[in-house]
Amino acid sequence: MQTLEGIVTVVQEGRFLLTTDDGRTQLLVLSYAAAAEPAQLAALQRAQSRVRVACTPAPDQIGWVARRVDLLDAAA
Amino acid sequence: MPVTAEGSVQTVHVHPRARDYPGSFLDGVIPQEAELTCGTRIEPGKSYGFFTDTTLCIGCKACEVACKEWNALPADQIGFTGMSYDNTGGLSANTWRHVAFIEKRGPTGTRQTDQAAFQSGWLMMSDVCKHCHNAPCLEACPTGALFRTEFDTVVVQQDICNGCGYCVPACPFGVVDLNPLDGKAHKCTLCYDRLKGGLEPACAKACPTDSIQFGEVPVLQARAEARVEQLQQLGVAGAHLYGAPEGEGATGGLGHLNAFFLLTERPETYGLPPAPTRPANRVAPGLLAGLATMAGLAVTALALLGGRR
Repeated sequence: MQTLEGIVTVVQEGRFLLTTDDGRTQLLVLSYAAAAEPAQLAALQRAQSRVRVACTPAPDQIGWVARRVDLLDAAA
Repeated sequence: MPVTAEGSVQTVHVHPRARDYPGSFLDGVIPQEAELTCGTRIEPGKSYGFFTDTTLCIGCKACEVACKEWNALPADQIGFTGMSYDNTGGLSANTWRHVAFIEKRGPTGTRQTDQAAFQSGWLMMSDVCKHCHNAPCLEACPTGALFRTEFDTVVVQQDICNGCGYCVPACPFGVVDLNPLDGKAHKCTLCYDRLKGGLEPACAKACPTDSIQFGEVPVLQARAEARVEQLQQLGVAGAHLYGAPEGEGATGGLGHLNAFFLLTERPETYGLPPAPTRPANRVAPGLLAGLATMAGLAVTALALLGGRR
């Protein structure tokens, strides 16, 4: 499982864009098994919080499946 | 101001409000921007939809890209489909606009080798959720996740959807799809978030030929009827509407489709059902058939048991 760190910049339903420290943007889908709800993503985006996302490649898609989202600062 | 080849000055229609925003960089979102981009003021309580004129579609797929960009939908179906320029294959949980490429065939079922001048052997159509007036997906949803918005569109509330999938077979057009990664149903929202901000939906705004037109449904219906008449006068005898009130595509109690189409061939050619129906229409006949079967079995059982005594 890969880990990405960065800021949630765009949220649509359970999908979000994570801009990593090196400036790249990754598209992720929040897994049904993740301990987070799509409604929580919007709050992370508004607060521009730094998060760590454990993810795996999405099958037959250009994107990732977020399995776990951890808050790295207390801004949110 | 543009000048025509004959040297006369051509008048270009510009909305008066457009003069308020002469710069390229703006401080924020333009209030009621849709008024400038498509002449439609977006207000809750009115009915909004799409009119897709397939005769104007050039298959550029700007609508597909705009939809994926705005809604943060991932590219899927990676690989070569073998279906011309069609690389998405169909509507899915991650593809809410799909441009179909259909090569016309002659009477013998093979490709025609001779064509009239300036005519193409290809049909192109940007398919989308129809936002039915009587939406079967909405009727089938047991949790109320599918709801009708203040703009008369049909949207899935992601925090309410439990992924039961009842809406998937209920849709007569095969639009709604479950995403196995997040376990929820997805479909076009007619850019609900953009409508709330006074913006034209992304696909219609991106369409370079105005094949996809956004507006109030009654206005679009009148415009579509005028376009059919114009095309028929130009010799396109097959031009007709799919999804107009109680017409083809809006059969079986659907009422009308808020996203309707102008076609030049039979709907089956485009992969659209010729006579879609609401599954709810079959509940009463199904229940009566079940009750009749039960009654028949009970009578038979009584007759057999009575005969033994």
